[in-house]
Amino acid sequence: EDKSAASKDSTPEGTAKRQEDGAETPKQQLLDIIGKMKVEVSYRKKLQQLKASENKKQAMSKLESSDSEGSVPQGITETQRGKPLNPELVKAASAVASSLPRNKKQTESELLAQLRRHEETTDKQKKGGTINIRNVISEMTIKRQSPAQRGMRISGLISLQLDEDGQRIRRERSSAEPMDSRRSLKVGKRLNIFTKASTEPEHALKTVSSPTIWDLEFAKEVAAVTAQPPRNGFEEMIQWTKEGILWEFPIDNEVGMEDDAEFHEHIFLEKHLEGFPKEGPIRHFMELVICGLSKNPYLSVKQKVEHIEWFQKYFEEKKELLQEI
Amino acid sequence: MAAAALCWALRVARQVLPSACPRQVRSYYVDWRMLRDVKRRKMAYEYADERLRINAIRKNSILPKELQEVADKEIAALPRDSCPVRIRNRCVLTSRPRGVKRRWRLSRIVFRHFADHAQMSGVQRAMW
Repeated sequence: EDKSAASKDSTPEGTAKRQEDGAETPKQQLLDIIGKMKVEVSYRKKLQQLKASENKKQAMSKLESSDSEGSVPQGITETQRGKPLNPELVKAASAVASSLPRNKKQTESELLAQLRRHEETTDKQKKGGTINIRNVISEMTIKRQSPAQRGMRISGLISLQLDEDGQRIRRERSSAEPMDSRRSLKVGKRLNIFTKASTEPEHALKTVSSPTIWDLEFAKEVAAVTAQPPRNGFEEMIQWTKEGILWEFPIDNEVGMEDDAEFHEHIFLEKHLEGFPKEGPIRHFMELVICGLSKNPYLSVKQKVEHIEWFQKYFEEKKELLQEI
Repeated sequence: MAAAALCWALRVARQVLPSACPRQVRSYYVDWRMLRDVKRRKMAYEYADERLRINAIRKNSILPKELQEVADKEIAALPRDSCPVRIRNRCVLTSRPRGVKRRWRLSRIVFRHFADHAQMSGVQRAMW
């Protein structure tokens, strides 16, 4: 799975899959992959580095001591095949892949993987399980180096341009291993970024009995005692705003007016006229009423409907009288 | 019994229900006439819709006249205090029925008093 997707990067959106094993085996595999990719065109290297820096940011949250210089693409995202993609999106992806000049199958698979990742992140955000920066920062520590390692690093920097990618990574890998042994990877609070966050036992809603009179009185007393007189004009204005004496700025013209109805519900009121006879003076009268209501911007739809219903009730009561006429 | 009635009458006007805010609140109306005016305003607000609708039936050339006569009787049967014509714009502070400026709801004497003490924002003595 790793190799098929990452073996040939034909599109800039090449994805590398992430695993949760120990640090050894994925690195090994990636090294092999990267070794193979040495021969290719130079711009691919830049893409690799871009991708590596992106994945590095993701890796920092997983490991405790982060290799700041490691260009090892340690990032592997976890794919959740559980949720199938939108078929329209799949069709669109295949269309895009077919339009691109080379390696249609590769591009399609990579686009689909990208889409899947997007879906994942949106789902996770909806559930509210995204990375909590506080958790991340609490686990990070200042890295301490022995002078030997520092020397190695400097020598590595000097010879950076001469070595190829594979060589540089190998040195980093050897320097990373002894550091890992000092702080084990399993220590510390789990961040639950990759595993599905275990659904915490939902706090059972405490059944609140209706507050007794004594509770209300106590609450009032506490509020009265703690309410200090305002120290300055600002606090006075805050208090007034809370009480409703002062409006909230910037002034909202539609405070208290929550008319969710569309314009057509205001204007086309004929459907409320079903209870009335089709012909005659009453119908004529009601049509005039509706004409006037449709031009009225001050009433809400509910009020207009009540208006019409009142008339309906009134005319029904007077039905006998009307029959005589 | 008589003493109780007297005590009750001695009170200038009715007390408004105490509000929650701790600041000073005027708890009495200025006089009984003001109280009655307040009652009339409340009633007029309650019956405003009905009066509007019955009047719409009355002032009509389309509906039959019998219907309009019935509506006449109905509107006359409503309580007297519900008509808006009985509301008088009194001064808010002194309850003076005449000489009240609508914009400030104050009688001319109170208005002059406040304006001279510079307590009316944007009001100045005219001189030209």
